[in-house]
Amino acid sequence: MESSGNGHIYIAIPVMALLAIVQSSILPRFPIAGVAPQLLFIVALGWGLLRGLEEGLIWAFIAGLFVDLFSLAPMGVSSLAFMAGMTPILLRRVLPPRRLLVASLMGALGTIIYLLAYTLLLQFTAFGVTISGMLELLPLILIHAVIITPVYLLLDYLLRITKPRRVEF
Amino acid sequence: MNVGRTQQRIRWISLALLVGSAILLTILDSTGTLTGVLGIVRDPLTYISSWTTERTDTLAEVAAGPRNLNAALKEIEALQLENNALRKENAQLIEEVSESRIIRDLFDRAAETPQYRRITANVIGSDTNPALQSILLDKGFDAGVRVGMPVEASQGLVGQVYRVTNNASMVALLTETASAIPVRLGTTRATGMLRGGGRGVLPTIDWIDMQYEVEVGELVMTSGLGGKFPENLIIGRVIDVERNEAELFQRAVVQPAVDFSSVEIVFVVTEFETSNTGIFSEEP
Repeated sequence: MESSGNGHIYIAIPVMALLAIVQSSILPRFPIAGVAPQLLFIVALGWGLLRGLEEGLIWAFIAGLFVDLFSLAPMGVSSLAFMAGMTPILLRRVLPPRRLLVASLMGALGTIIYLLAYTLLLQFTAFGVTISGMLELLPLILIHAVIITPVYLLLDYLLRITKPRRVEF
Repeated sequence: MNVGRTQQRIRWISLALLVGSAILLTILDSTGTLTGVLGIVRDPLTYISSWTTERTDTLAEVAAGPRNLNAALKEIEALQLENNALRKENAQLIEEVSESRIIRDLFDRAAETPQYRRITANVIGSDTNPALQSILLDKGFDAGVRVGMPVEASQGLVGQVYRVTNNASMVALLTETASAIPVRLGTTRATGMLRGGGRGVLPTIDWIDMQYEVEVGELVMTSGLGGKFPENLIIGRVIDVERNEAELFQRAVVQPAVDFSSVEIVFVVTEFETSNTGIFSEEP
């Protein structure tokens, strides 16, 4: 991995730690359609859309670790599911250059893949997710498709201010 | 050309490292190897989470206001006549009344079974994974909480302690798929095993003998068998019975008594009398 040297990857650690606290203690009190949006996943996906798949994967890996700190799931399961959810970024090149529309589409597609990967991975642990349980999580797809737009714009703004160097494998 | 190939190789190695690390962590955590290390990371985070939750409580109550819109509007009119200091004091008093009501219910519950030893704990967070159901408590190993201890609210059983760090603990709700609790029905006295169905699915009691005529509305309580839970902790009520004469056992669907989304304070039952199973260990 080629390091940027300016430590922008390491920003992911405090950012995700903070978001994990928000995810655990604040968001469950304000559910939308019965579910709390997965803020850490959306931020990682938004970062990946702006900075490329490589950085998206690293942010997803770190985000997953912090999610599992506050979860029953074994450490690493969310990292794998989040990284799987980053794969739609590969489609970015073939999609029309409408950034917000593409971000929204990626949000929905990424969430579907993340949920499927997560359900599959949970089957290997003591915790399983039933089909009706999965159906209850479907609003997440729409919620993420909407929420990713402001997250994407905010990250874009922050990146333009800070101008971090790109990290590539 | 070679540079491109090397970059490609580095890319694959990096990806393999990330995936490999995640898998390794999953395996290590599942075997309990990481408990100590993760505890060090979890403790400061849960402390911040606890602080955040305390401040969110007031906000959440304000957001819940529109359920009694008329009362809330009248209350707002009255409050507008008061000065800012009194408004703040009023909000604090409302919060305290709400908390004292919860505490009074908990004490009533504690008075019913004084033989149990309990620790009160605040709920400071929920599971960050949308598919899993757990709550985070602000009491941990230092306060005497241990893995496997039952957790109850004033309305009934909440679940079982799944993970513990020095100052926090994570409780798997009884609706989780990993949860299995020996139960007894209130009227028929039939016993069975309550299993969680996961998110969106109500828990069910399996292995109920067909000789019992289980009825909808029956109270479901812990049986105390197995020694992991005390006897007679209320779990909920039977809302459906699945009975097929061709089968050896029947099943019952249970509506839990506790509204898990609104639990704020709970008891961790640290000591209780287990059912006397000593007679089974004696030689005939």
